[in-house]
Amino acid sequence: MKNDREGQLKIYQLFSPVLYGICLKYMKNEDDAKDVFQEAFVIAFQKISQYKFEGSFEGWLKRIFINKLIETLNKKKKESFFLDVFDPDTDFIEEEELEAIPIEQEKLLEYIRDLPDQYRTVFNLYVFEKMKHREIAELLKISEGTSKSNLNRAKHILQKRILSIKNFKIA
Amino acid sequence: MKKQKIEDIFSSMEDFSSVPPPELWSQIEEKLDKPKKKKRVVLWWSAAACLLLGLLLPSILHFTASSENTNLNNGNLENNTNSVVIDKKTNNVHTGKDLNRNKNTDKAIDSLNENSPKNQFNSESQIQVEETSVAETNSENKTSKRDSKSDVVVPANTANQSVAYQNSGSSEEKSIVRSSKKSISGNNTRSSNKGISEERIAFGKQSKFNSTAKKQLSNSIFEEQLTPKNSKNIAFTNQGYATNNNPFTNSNASNSNNAVLGKTENKRTDKAVIIKDDLKITNGLSKTDSMQLAELQNLEKGILAPEKEKEEKEKKDKLLNKQEKWAVAVFAGVASSENTRNEKTLGNVNDSKQSNSYGVKTKYSINKKWAVGSGLKISELGQSVANVSYLSAKSNAFFNPGTLNADSNNSPVVSADPSSQGYLFISNSTKEALKNENVQTGKLDQNLRYVEMPLEVSYSVFNKNKASINLNTGGFVGKLISNNVALDGHSIGENINANDYVYGSTLSSTVQYRVYKKTNVFVEPAVNYYINPLNSQSFNQFQWGLNFGLNVNF
Repeated sequence: MKNDREGQLKIYQLFSPVLYGICLKYMKNEDDAKDVFQEAFVIAFQKISQYKFEGSFEGWLKRIFINKLIETLNKKKKESFFLDVFDPDTDFIEEEELEAIPIEQEKLLEYIRDLPDQYRTVFNLYVFEKMKHREIAELLKISEGTSKSNLNRAKHILQKRILSIKNFKIA
Repeated sequence: MKKQKIEDIFSSMEDFSSVPPPELWSQIEEKLDKPKKKKRVVLWWSAAACLLLGLLLPSILHFTASSENTNLNNGNLENNTNSVVIDKKTNNVHTGKDLNRNKNTDKAIDSLNENSPKNQFNSESQIQVEETSVAETNSENKTSKRDSKSDVVVPANTANQSVAYQNSGSSEEKSIVRSSKKSISGNNTRSSNKGISEERIAFGKQSKFNSTAKKQLSNSIFEEQLTPKNSKNIAFTNQGYATNNNPFTNSNASNSNNAVLGKTENKRTDKAVIIKDDLKITNGLSKTDSMQLAELQNLEKGILAPEKEKEEKEKKDKLLNKQEKWAVAVFAGVASSENTRNEKTLGNVNDSKQSNSYGVKTKYSINKKWAVGSGLKISELGQSVANVSYLSAKSNAFFNPGTLNADSNNSPVVSADPSSQGYLFISNSTKEALKNENVQTGKLDQNLRYVEMPLEVSYSVFNKNKASINLNTGGFVGKLISNNVALDGHSIGENINANDYVYGSTLSSTVQYRVYKKTNVFVEPAVNYYINPLNSQSFNQFQWGLNFGLNVNF
């Protein structure tokens, strides 16, 4: 399987849209997303023999991609990547409910990608990967408090962006 | 109008997908074709560093010891004017010799012996992805970017949508069926269950809803590789599947509606990354179908759960047993032969002698705790005796070594090198009795080099994360490969009392740290006891050592 190019192509064709979508959600610009996408696929094919049928194949691939994305984001920032100071006054922003109006995926993607790296990463892991703050903290080597505050700030920014759309109102 | 939280607004992005630019595949192919070199280089460097460290240490120790001896000898020579020049020269030669001797080279083992790719997939198998049933669905169809880009024909309002894929080379129609259903948000049992995010992808031929779809995709990409996890798995699909003549179509049913989700915390699972089906095909199911589907899935879950757990456990155990049974290590280090019983040669105390050792060894794990090992090791046992009195034929024209036979019990019996001159070693007491001006003193070094084969038993006392500590004990047999007696650095022959075969016991502790995949570096303090290095003469029999090495498990 390791060197079965035809099989690799089929796997690529089957899973690349979802995985490329993940890369776009985590990386600020498309070139970086493409780079990580390629590198992660190479790693996945090289490690395919390590897939142990514990969970789905797609889940296994996603884990590889997310690990690679986080590794890349960490490398990009030499200084402390995540906000370490947890300020309860500003970090617990009350989340307001918004009226449901459909927004295009392209627009939503744009909002996510406009978030600062650290907020975006935590937001993605929490909202899309359904990870707990404890798990995010372990993965990113930050405190749980930092994870929470990064998520709150991400939500706050996104809320502002959405409210800036004319039709959106606070319910 | 419905109220939404930020997470709900962005929930449509959960399964966001986008077709990557076509040139990316060719770039991936290029990268795949490039041979892996970097990691090999790193491992070779690690091996080289270990060897260098092992070989340099004894050299440094020996060099330090030599310089101390030079001072000592110079002090002695003040009283012995006849040999001042000679001694200085010999010391210089000695130092030079040691440096040369340490220019050993050794071959490192290729530690990149990767496991041959295990064939984890089998024919006749299916990956089936199971998900909990659909309860509430949102009837809105959102047009996603993915949909707009895709070529898939997804029939609207089919009872249970599936993306089918037809192999262009085959007359048989195959479909990749992904039944994706979201759970009832209020159902706590399910939401706490891992199953909420579990999925089973069924790569199968066309199969029908409510039938035990055992027909599976025979020519799928996993055909040869996928192992049947459980023959009882049932693929639930709908009659109303979509077919497509494209050789390959992307999963594009993301136009499915997102179920109204409850509190997100309820959905959290223990898994770091939750696997979500990218196809949310929920909108066409009739109530009866949903009920039946839910019932069947629950039934299947009930049947499969304990079996699955058992299988997983067994698998893990087997994997543990199968994996890393063998280990191969290359090592080098410093050794010092010690005089533990204050034994003397010709009235002078035997001093310790530093040397180096290196070798390869292999270990076989019997279970998690115990292992046996063997290998080959080049090791040197030696001793150094300072201020040894001797008579040399060079300084005494009338000297005949055969006529004097002083202290034969404790004197090294040297079979003279043809190039060297005859020497007679005398004890301190005989020296005083002789009062001969030609009696000289010097440093007598004896080295016995062996190739040893140990047989060890190893017990793991600590094993956590990447670090482990083992205690090893056993015995060894050694074959003499080099035998040298040197006086003031000049080789004067061999010690004929040396046994060709030596036996001994060993005790060591291995502190190991995993640096890469199955590669470990280790440091190993050890003590060895040689039972019979010489027949009749006293000799250093105890040796401590410190080895550094690289170890590869497979």
